[in-house]
Amino acid sequence: MTSRRQVLKSAVLGGGAGVLAATALGSLGPEAAFGAAAPGVAPGAPDPDFAEGRIRSVKDNTLFVLGSNMVFHRIRVVDGTSLWKLGPVAFDQAKPGDGLYARGVRMPDGVLAAESVWLNIVNVKGHVRNITSEKLHLDHNGQEILCHRVAGKSVAVYSDAPPSADLSLLRVGQHVQVLGAWRPDTNQVDIATVFSPH
Amino acid sequence: MNGIAALQPYVIGLFLLWAGLVKLFGRRLRAQAGQSALARLVGPARAVPAFRLIGVLELAVAAALLLPPVLPLEGAAATGLCAGFLAYLTYARRAAPTSSCGCLGAHSRPVDRRGFARAGLLLAASVVAVWARPYPIDPPLAVVGLAEAAALLLLSPELDRHWLVPLRRLLVRLRRPLAAPSPQDVPLEVTLRLLYLSPAYCSASARLTSDVLDVWDEDGLRFVVYGAGGATAVFAAPLSGDDPAAVRVALIEEPALA
Repeated sequence: MTSRRQVLKSAVLGGGAGVLAATALGSLGPEAAFGAAAPGVAPGAPDPDFAEGRIRSVKDNTLFVLGSNMVFHRIRVVDGTSLWKLGPVAFDQAKPGDGLYARGVRMPDGVLAAESVWLNIVNVKGHVRNITSEKLHLDHNGQEILCHRVAGKSVAVYSDAPPSADLSLLRVGQHVQVLGAWRPDTNQVDIATVFSPH
Repeated sequence: MNGIAALQPYVIGLFLLWAGLVKLFGRRLRAQAGQSALARLVGPARAVPAFRLIGVLELAVAAALLLPPVLPLEGAAATGLCAGFLAYLTYARRAAPTSSCGCLGAHSRPVDRRGFARAGLLLAASVVAVWARPYPIDPPLAVVGLAEAAALLLLSPELDRHWLVPLRRLLVRLRRPLAAPSPQDVPLEVTLRLLYLSPAYCSASARLTSDVLDVWDEDGLRFVVYGAGGATAVFAAPLSGDDPAAVRVALIEEPALA
């Protein structure tokens, strides 16, 4: 891992073998941006390269996922797959019961070879009903959602300002949007980002 | 016991007076009547007239309770009204669990335990009021009456913004439950937002196929690795500072799983 990191580091800082495109500062050329093909999905049709649902079981490198529309998915996770659970995590963090969204490439045998998997990611809006130690009590349409601050991970975005690890400017009674990781089968969420209008 | 019974017409009367006036003259309640559970019961078009009708009923019962003479019939009328409230709350809870009750003014909170406790307290007080007889009200009795009124007000979510929200704000200011953490720890999200704004990320984003694969900090820089099809994209962003133009990127032809 360390040697791979050294290769990547030297590539971004000073070029090296195998570099396709790099910048000292600023952007790549336009050919990089236009290199990707447009998605070939008709409007309204389900995207075959996307899956959502909850993990029923995990076997080797495959997640068995039951979608909310009762469609069953097999999702293969490889070394090049990114997993998110309040931040980048390793594959062993994917547990039965976790909800997920996955994007990748559908194989001929029906398996989704995942490029990205987001575990338990949620996006909720509500009013701050109360603030207690390391927790926001959110009123989301009358339902209470307990949002936990996670040290070193949770940030707040106040209006257009750059994000800050300081959540202490949030006020009781104000409206917020919380992006975070749901704790399965509870009304609790670990905060990734909390957006405040002011 | 006689004294407590004699107190009830005043407590209920004042509470109903407030409820009736809000329903007849509250502008916000009229504007939001369509979102209350009553609109579900009688139809949105008839919600405002229904609120007015209930307001008139409440004022009539309040006037009968507050003005002499004291009759058992008044207690019975209040009992009927409060039993109706409780039935309405039960209906609202079942038929429209996300709607507010509209009992004492507009607010967005659905019917909860406090609403039921308030209606139950009012019903109990009304039943006691049936046995009300004229009785001299002395200071200890007045304290009981004030405590009862305070309980009714504390159980009213309509008033939360006047006392509960300021109280919680004060407690938050005193206790600082979300005190600022140590500044040397930069969360990944801070770097990612800087990244998203950078020309480097914008020019490479169409190539990215995965979310963050790897992150590490070295020499005041944070390195963030993404998959980009068969290639790998690595970004270097400054850990401190907020200039998006300082972000660098390289696309490397290397299997992402190497």
